Amino acid sequence: MKRSRTPASRPASPNGNPVKAKARKKAGNNHAAPAIRFYGVPLPGVRPEELSGSLIVVEGTDGSGRSTQISLLTEWLEGEGFAVETMGLRRSFLVGEDIDALLAENAVTRTTLALMYGTDFFDQLERRILPALRSGLIVLADRYIFTLIARAAVRGIGRDYLHGVYEIALRPDLTFWLNVKPEVAFDREFKKLQTISYWESGRDMSLSNDLFKSFIRYQSMIKREFEYLSKRHEFIELDGEVSVAQVNGLLRKRIASHLGIRATHYKPSHALAHLWR
Amino acid sequence: MATITPEISIAERPVAERTAAGKRPYPGALVVVEGIDGSGKSTQLYLLKRWLEIGGYRIHFTEWNSSPLVKSATRRGKQRRLLTPTTFSMLHAADFADRCERQILPLLHGGYLVLADRYVYTAFARDAARGCSPHWLRNLYSFAPVPDITFYFRAPLDVAVNRIVAGRPKLKYYEAGMDLGFSLDRAESFRIFQEKILNNYDQMVETDRFILMDGTVRVNKLQRLMRQLLGDKIDLAHFAPKKK
Repeated sequence: MKRSRTPASRPASPNGNPVKAKARKKAGNNHAAPAIRFYGVPLPGVRPEELSGSLIVVEGTDGSGRSTQISLLTEWLEGEGFAVETMGLRRSFLVGEDIDALLAENAVTRTTLALMYGTDFFDQLERRILPALRSGLIVLADRYIFTLIARAAVRGIGRDYLHGVYEIALRPDLTFWLNVKPEVAFDREFKKLQTISYWESGRDMSLSNDLFKSFIRYQSMIKREFEYLSKRHEFIELDGEVSVAQVNGLLRKRIASHLGIRATHYKPSHALAHLWR
Repeated sequence: MATITPEISIAERPVAERTAAGKRPYPGALVVVEGIDGSGKSTQLYLLKRWLEIGGYRIHFTEWNSSPLVKSATRRGKQRRLLTPTTFSMLHAADFADRCERQILPLLHGGYLVLADRYVYTAFARDAARGCSPHWLRNLYSFAPVPDITFYFRAPLDVAVNRIVAGRPKLKYYEAGMDLGFSLDRAESFRIFQEKILNNYDQMVETDRFILMDGTVRVNKLQRLMRQLLGDKIDLAHFAPKKK
């Protein structure tokens, strides 16, 4: 599979990004667009130079604390005066509900499901995220193409095929991976829902009739996929097993540095105080 | 990393590799008709299907865009005009994947002669005319089995366009390519859109080994030729009713 993504054509690593550092100096507090915003050929009709906002992705399995962190980051950023838009899986107007119906029905095959998730992703990207980025907003993505690639890949769909489907997607400015052990994710999910979801335990894959074993085996496969993706896409990996406040502190530090603002103190408001454990 | 994939995906093998090998991993055969609207392809495939049905052959007929799976999404998208070239293409790919995984592939493995009115080449020609990257489209559909025969029905643009416009009181929004801003006049937009699609089809004649069929030839004469070509390329006895 030929892809235009070569090391030479990419901006430097998110760790010490000279491209962004320079851009930041020039633009002051305006977070300037990095050199390359798409993996391959951009989506039809998109001019990368008009995208002045930032796309920040938080990836991680259910139970990694992803959604909690997104809520906290949204409040922090809004407090700092940044407008925030969010995206996630199955939230598109076009097919969000159709995917829910497919999952409930459980008659759908793997390629179809992967492409329906892809449709959902691109509908949100084109109709919500790109307009937000054109207006200079900060987009916080509660999962992105990486979860979609990992889920399809563990079901036997080729990685190169999947990367090809998403090569027209927008490359995030920062991608965080909240990494937790499957056992920890299990404890947290069970505590929250008193059960384990059919799809999160990969029960369509006939891994084990025991729900716990199935969950652990499936999540381990997903985790290994993420380890591969983490290298390929330069994730910023964070230990999702430490406290919410600690993870949030690390996230804020990296995001603040990307935006060119000073990492400020943050305490959640009364409404979100229950998340701060 | 290979150990974590439970089975090898067809998507992992490039289309070209499978074509070059010449041998298919299934006993069935896949016959496809392609061409712009009004080229006569559906009429000809219908007649071919009737001929095979009457003869009692093991066949299955499938159409582009027929799965109930994505119907509600397509309807919603079209009614509200929400579809972009990318989501339009993705929805059709999901729809095709459903048909492919639940009908076409099982039937090919079960030894059927599968007749398809339009196939992935429709997406290659039409979605590229909508502005999608041809490279991206080829990858998107790389899980599709390669047809044994692809009949490409070609009629001059004016002939094809007049056949459609004469028979339809009003061209639909997406059908006429109104989302692409070629023209405010639907008939004119349709014509420009079809011309782009026709050019894209023409480019695939060699790369994808289309059999060129002249859509202006008399219907019964063209059908005779089609049946002859089918018999030359495919061992029809393989699909014939078993004698008891």
